[in-house]
Amino acid sequence: MEDDYKFAASTFFAKNHPGETCGSNGLPLTPSSITILGRSQRLLQIEHPNLCTYLDIIRGKHERIIVVAEVIGKALAEYTTKFSYEEIINIATQVACGMKLLHDGNIIHRTLSDDNILLDSNGRVKLFHYGMYYMTNEGKEVPFPLGLPRYFSPEAIIGGGGPSADVWAFGIIILELCIGKLWNNLKPSPTMRRILTLVHSNNPAERIAREHYALDAYKEIPENIRGIIEKCLKIYPSERATFKDLHSELSSMNTRTPSEIKPVRGLMGCKLQYLYHWWQLAGGDIQAELKKSGLIKNSPPILSMPIAILLDGPTIGGKTGALFDRRIAKYSLDLLKNRLSHIPPSDFYPLMHERRRDYEAMALPKIIRERDTEYQFYRLLWFQRLLHGYPYTAQCIRSEAEIDIPPLVRGDVWAALLGVLGDIETHYERIDKETPTHTDRQIDVDIPRCHQYCWLLCGAEGHKKLKRLLKAWLLTNPQYVYWQGLDSLTAPFLYLNFCNEARAFACLTAFVPKFLHKFFLKDNSAVIKEYLAKFWQMAAFHEPQLATHLHDINFVPELFAIPWFLTMFSHVFPLHKIVHLWDALLVEGPSLPLFMGAAILRQLRDTLLDSGFNECILLFSDLPEIDIGECVKESIDMCRSTPKSLSYRRFTNEPEIKDPMVRYAYITYLNTFICKIIIYRDMVEIPMEILLNEVCPRISLSDFFSLICQDKCCVIDIRSNLLYEKSCIEGSINIPYSGVHLGQHELKSLGPQPYKVLVEAVKMNKIIVVASAEDGTAQLVRDKVFDFIKILYKGSPSRFI
Amino acid sequence: MTATELENTTKTFKFSFPTCTNEDLLFKLEVPVEIPYPGSTRELVQRILKMFHIPVYLEDDLNEKLADFVSEETKNFHHNRDAALIDQLKNNELDLEGIIKNWEKQFKNVVDFAEQKGSSDEEVFAAAYHKLVHSPALETILQVESAYAKTVMDMIQNRDEDIKKLTKRQTEEMEEKIRLLNTSTTEEEINTLAAKHFEAQSLATGRWDSQLDALKHTQRAEHRAWLMNAINEYQTEEKITPSNSPLCSYASLPPAPSAPAALLEESFTIHLGSQLKQTHNIRLVCADMLDLCARDRADGGVSLSLYSSELSGAVLVCEARPSRSPLTSLPRVTDHHFPDLHDQLRRIEEAVAEPAEARNRSRSERESRRRALRAGDVFVTRHSDLAQHVVFHLVADEDELRSAELSSRHRALLGLREVLLAAHRNDVSSVALPLLLRRELGEDATAAWCLRRAELVLKCVKGFVLEASAAGGARLTTLTAAVPKDARALFPALAALLPAVFRVAGPLRPRLPSGPV
Repeated sequence: MEDDYKFAASTFFAKNHPGETCGSNGLPLTPSSITILGRSQRLLQIEHPNLCTYLDIIRGKHERIIVVAEVIGKALAEYTTKFSYEEIINIATQVACGMKLLHDGNIIHRTLSDDNILLDSNGRVKLFHYGMYYMTNEGKEVPFPLGLPRYFSPEAIIGGGGPSADVWAFGIIILELCIGKLWNNLKPSPTMRRILTLVHSNNPAERIAREHYALDAYKEIPENIRGIIEKCLKIYPSERATFKDLHSELSSMNTRTPSEIKPVRGLMGCKLQYLYHWWQLAGGDIQAELKKSGLIKNSPPILSMPIAILLDGPTIGGKTGALFDRRIAKYSLDLLKNRLSHIPPSDFYPLMHERRRDYEAMALPKIIRERDTEYQFYRLLWFQRLLHGYPYTAQCIRSEAEIDIPPLVRGDVWAALLGVLGDIETHYERIDKETPTHTDRQIDVDIPRCHQYCWLLCGAEGHKKLKRLLKAWLLTNPQYVYWQGLDSLTAPFLYLNFCNEARAFACLTAFVPKFLHKFFLKDNSAVIKEYLAKFWQMAAFHEPQLATHLHDINFVPELFAIPWFLTMFSHVFPLHKIVHLWDALLVEGPSLPLFMGAAILRQLRDTLLDSGFNECILLFSDLPEIDIGECVKESIDMCRSTPKSLSYRRFTNEPEIKDPMVRYAYITYLNTFICKIIIYRDMVEIPMEILLNEVCPRISLSDFFSLICQDKCCVIDIRSNLLYEKSCIEGSINIPYSGVHLGQHELKSLGPQPYKVLVEAVKMNKIIVVASAEDGTAQLVRDKVFDFIKILYKGSPSRFI
Repeated sequence: MTATELENTTKTFKFSFPTCTNEDLLFKLEVPVEIPYPGSTRELVQRILKMFHIPVYLEDDLNEKLADFVSEETKNFHHNRDAALIDQLKNNELDLEGIIKNWEKQFKNVVDFAEQKGSSDEEVFAAAYHKLVHSPALETILQVESAYAKTVMDMIQNRDEDIKKLTKRQTEEMEEKIRLLNTSTTEEEINTLAAKHFEAQSLATGRWDSQLDALKHTQRAEHRAWLMNAINEYQTEEKITPSNSPLCSYASLPPAPSAPAALLEESFTIHLGSQLKQTHNIRLVCADMLDLCARDRADGGVSLSLYSSELSGAVLVCEARPSRSPLTSLPRVTDHHFPDLHDQLRRIEEAVAEPAEARNRSRSERESRRRALRAGDVFVTRHSDLAQHVVFHLVADEDELRSAELSSRHRALLGLREVLLAAHRNDVSSVALPLLLRRELGEDATAAWCLRRAELVLKCVKGFVLEASAAGGARLTTLTAAVPKDARALFPALAALLPAVFRVAGPLRPRLPSGPV
């Protein structure tokens, strides 16, 4: 059944650049296939009832491009019966409608022919693969000519041809529908010669008919259709009608009202892009079908080996360019239908207030879930629904995104998580992205080095868009400057919103104040310093042993972690990892990156513990593979188990939490209370310098109380026993500072009671809080106790504050 | 197609609006706009508004006017250009023949209009062979091939023995004569004898060579016929093993070639790339490049992957004359798939003469042999009877390579780059290359020199591999860096260098050298 085919693929090779050429910037030229890939992204966005939606552009090995697009019915060329004039008008109207949209978008078709106009049994017409000329940059990126000679307009043959060339082709097609195939079985050059001789004629249409001995048939064509044909087949393009005129004229002639097609329900009612995505997940293989139908031929490479390569000279022998095959391979969705056949119809329309369902796949790692057909089916439908309700569903989206985000709608979900709203297009439009500024030079240097393994970002189109985004951001944020790394930071947003610069920009604009507040100040040293110090404290809190080691070898975060945080890891990891990292980031909030850093250290823990300073430098200069799934999981665990006040930063955009209860508690307890250490947030501002030089973080009073109430901490009171006896926290142990011998490494030397409590605390994995009246002394004791514990329990030391 | 190159003109967009005090006095605005305009006109409007401080209430008006202006001018642009072309055509001012010829040539690249051509013999055989070696027939094929090989090797051995005998006899005879010099023989007689000996030698060699050639020829034909027959049977009857092997018995197969002498080698897994990391394997071996190519290191794998897209190749440094390729010194059995090495080399020599001359002229080099290859050029041979499918011959000047310092822009290294790029383009996924760019160390190479050279080559290779992988194609999965046998003592130092140049992933897996170091 022809109607079973939902999409089709065609394939071709892009042009090969001659070996040694370099671009003006001294970098190797972008491969043609990359250029095509970049240009064709725009086509993927076009949706129109008379145009087949492009679904995918795939770049294969050796410059191969595979284009996947929707299909319906079959091509006009495949219909053997003649159409009635009524049918012809119907077809022409719809073609003109599709062409009008293309021309409005400045897309020239150029390859319009009877084999890419598809017609189904309902009389619907769609143009297939109309973007060939556009995506190949007017045919410049491919080694073969585009289109079929018999639809060439005279000016197109001799090297011209704008949009009006399509009008000519349109005229020829209608003429063919009326009087039969033209110049049938004629080779390209004689066909073109005949077309060129038409320029001397006053009425090319009539002359063509006469040449084909079809003048009678031509005269029989109803006046109005003949009028249309003649308006199209004018020699001078300026005299030809435009599709706008043609469409309105044809519409008025069209007696057929487009038959109402009942909206399909169930699987086939889903968005075609989703269907294609699921089909691929279910094991659909575009290349396999192309191979089967002989469109991808694999000649053994050894047979086409070059015989010599001359330096600064040609390559001799080797591959001859493969021929361009215009055929297409069609695909049905049977595979997917079978895969999802057991799903009840009601599941296609999930209700928002239904209780959330648990799927089997939920327990699997994210990467596997992203490849699970059925899971993605449910998730996508669900997210589609939620996104539809945005911004009213923002809360819902956030809680769903906490589980995972379907890759297909990640761009939308991120925008929702960042609260992107309103008329972002107009806003973006108003920003001047063209006028040169003094940062342009630096941007031009950085962009060709930014995530260039990504095929979208490494092409001219990607470079242009990235530059516009960066310039727009700098212009709207005059308080900030361009720090290297901003390019990497922008890349994920561009990658996800390649054809929606405005949204990429809106996302970036929302992202920076939330996660990188003040990072891009001209003098950002204080901000970075605080961030790194916090990171170091968090690392010390969760990985005390590692932190002590790094501290001992003097390996400080300034040496490696600045790009981590300045770019939120986007400079360090490839895009497919960044997206997972940021999925978590956007949901969890701005303190998560600190713990991500700690989680990375944790993954490298064993190596780091065995490494000296130089090895560490080497290790971080080129970070080894990091398991991102693991890193995300660990960092979220760490983040949630860490008292909030520990990761508090002064340079943040988060609203200050004013908690009167805390102040009250502080004041009441101050006189009788043991410790001065733990409060910096609630009352006393401790100078930055002191704070930043500490290995261990400080805790706020309220967090401290909540820890005590939950029995999650063990308090060591190091004041003199006099003060201790006066008043103390219940359950705390007293190890007077003066009683600690510095050279002593036995925990037992602290006395039997403290020893017992501490060992117990370590076993329970309690947080150990050292309370003292003075700074500095607490630090010493902390280090000391930590030493003991390190000796006693290698591998699982407890956490310190 | 010069007309399409005539892109882009600039038109002036004019806009006027009343000044604030006088309705009749108009404020005039003129902006040059590139046609066709590549960007968005709405964005241009915003820039104009900002730059000229135009009141915002004119925004919508301006948007509309500018959009209309651009679309109108674009249309005119196309129409004017096309009208000019058509007028030229009408007045016969165009090179019509040239244009049509050009189209005709171009349409040869489209299946519908190209000349129909079937698969070549080579392709048919390749497909058949590939299918059979991936069927249960593999073992039979390997047995047959090794039996063929044995016959050839036997004959080569016979030849060598025969010639040795002849040489010995001649030496004795000559010594006898020389002993009697001035007593019973004259110098003239000795000269005649020498000439006679020489003639006998070349006669014997010639005889053997033609015998060998004949044998190879027969074997090749037989092998082909048998295989094509086998594939037919295989396809029609789905037989598991092909029968009617041309050799009635392969019971008396030669024992499997003895395992190659234990090599000093060490493997590393490296990750290259700044964000997205690609995994490659690097193997450091201490072996002669020719030994790495030699047949006795080959196994079924070579046949299995011969027509696959995972080929293996080796880089051989050699001099400019293809016929003097070091490969010719290897004893060789029948190549059932590709032309004989000498034929390949001869063809290369013929094919490169002209392009090389053109290139040399463009470099304006005044050297005696103007049709010859130069340092940095590469020629390629294909083999099914060696351990490598492809051998890249890198032309280099031995003396220069001996010199102390090469720059990274030296021709030998640029040639190496071409090799890696070509490997990449042609699905050669594993490449063996000489780490020091020399086959043997010789006296003059100090340890420091070797390490410096190795570091340079490795760093260049790292860059080339990164460059190649950006171009898209086959991935170079395995790189083998070979150091000459006489550099054994340096091996540990070189092995330590590798992880320093490439960041090594995972723990090192040192393989204990089996021989004395």
